[in-house]
Amino acid sequence: MTGRRTSELLVGALPIALLLALWHGIAASGMAPPSLLPAPLAVFSRLVEQLCNPVFLEHAAITLLRLFAGFAIAVVIGVVVGVAATGNRMVEALVKPVVRVLAPVPKIALYPAFILILGFEHASKIALVAADAVFPILLATYQGTSAVEPKLVWSARAAGTPARKVLFTIVLPAALPSVLTGCRIGLVISCIVVFLAEMISSTNGLGHLLVYAARSFHTVDMFVPLIAISLLGLLLNASFNALRARLLVGFPEEW
Amino acid sequence: MTWRLAALPGLPPLIACLALLGLWEAAARIFAIDGLPPAHEALRQLPAILGDREALLHILDSVRRMAIGCALALAVAVPVGLLMGRSRLVAAFFNPLLMTIYPVPKAALMPIIMLWLGIGDASKTLVIFLGVSLPLIYHSYQGARAVEEKMLWSAAAMGMSPLQRLVRIVLPASLPEIFVGVRTGLVLALITMVTSEMIARQSGVGNILFNSLDMALYDTVYAMIVIIGILGFVLDLGFEKLRARLVAWAEPVHQIAVGTT
Repeated sequence: MTGRRTSELLVGALPIALLLALWHGIAASGMAPPSLLPAPLAVFSRLVEQLCNPVFLEHAAITLLRLFAGFAIAVVIGVVVGVAATGNRMVEALVKPVVRVLAPVPKIALYPAFILILGFEHASKIALVAADAVFPILLATYQGTSAVEPKLVWSARAAGTPARKVLFTIVLPAALPSVLTGCRIGLVISCIVVFLAEMISSTNGLGHLLVYAARSFHTVDMFVPLIAISLLGLLLNASFNALRARLLVGFPEEW
Repeated sequence: MTWRLAALPGLPPLIACLALLGLWEAAARIFAIDGLPPAHEALRQLPAILGDREALLHILDSVRRMAIGCALALAVAVPVGLLMGRSRLVAAFFNPLLMTIYPVPKAALMPIIMLWLGIGDASKTLVIFLGVSLPLIYHSYQGARAVEEKMLWSAAAMGMSPLQRLVRIVLPASLPEIFVGVRTGLVLALITMVTSEMIARQSGVGNILFNSLDMALYDTVYAMIVIIGILGFVLDLGFEKLRARLVAWAEPVHQIAVGTT
């Protein structure tokens, strides 16, 4: 079994190694000048250098602040509205059509409106992150809570449990796997959206660094923030999966 | 009352649209800030934009790039996903790579791809293709993995070649799951389309949207937001209809509409 796993890991490392080799090959052969395609080594050494640079870290911290603020708002709104829509038919009738209309709208198109209303600072970016992350969380919560076995709720109610306690001891724990899946998707989306928002209009943050480097044709510096945000996404995804594994011992893992 | 209304398909979303417009109008009147014109002023711009030949050409440009990007993604991603689902080796080959590029913001690749392919159609279509491919591969993979083994054994016993099995059994059986991927992909295509046009302002809806923002034509900004919103909603609706026709036999798959870029 372990032999099989290692060989599968090796097979999986192959395309990544091939891509890196191709990248290195093209850069080293001089087919593409470094201003178009810097060598992978140059990019990674620059990345390491930047990770020790307080200015770069400050930009990253600003990005993280916006990311988590928007994500937190999305989690609160998504879970509360999702639970309310399952529990109350009026709310459901109200929320469902609104979600049906708003969910497929590309939220990035709303960004100009957010800029005009909330200004160029943190608020408009946080609003965009929240708007993008809220729908997967809301839908997952709604699906999770409406799939809870009604008999569980009935038994608890028959045993005299008050409605609020049923919500916290039965409905939410039973819906947790679905809610967490929604949150994980929302987290990756937040990561991407905050970067795009900073690319569009910002004076700080990782996205701004990319645009700034593009304007001054520092190709190496264009790759660095992109890799940084991708690493951040991988890291957040992995830590979320670890959290999920702790909270839901025995549930199957997901991609 | 609400349930009788809900029995009419299309009516609740329509009411929701009107309610949202009403909210917007009210908010604009209450807060009275420059950045938020009342709904009716923005909507008045709609016929002007839709009647303008140049603006229509921009919108067509965007839709064309999106269609080409999506078609390419379908042609590449579905076979890859199906193969991954049926072969452990192929899955082991692609999975780590896909997991690594999954959190990369595809639209953010635009400035770099622009260096190589210019600001024209090629780079934007490529970015859309990349954005749509990942969810498509993932869902085709999941769909192909869940195909009933016994059906494949029977087919093999009846003398079907591996390729025939893939096309005649695995593909139809995975179709509901593939459609989930297509739906996610459509949302992504739209987001990537707008963002790429915003970064490389040359043509398209994103170009009009952000140029009018820079020129402080706020009515046009909001009218464009409405147009892009309608585009997203109509695509989603049309796709649902298509799905309902093609895979009516399958139970509706519960899915989470994702909007990664």
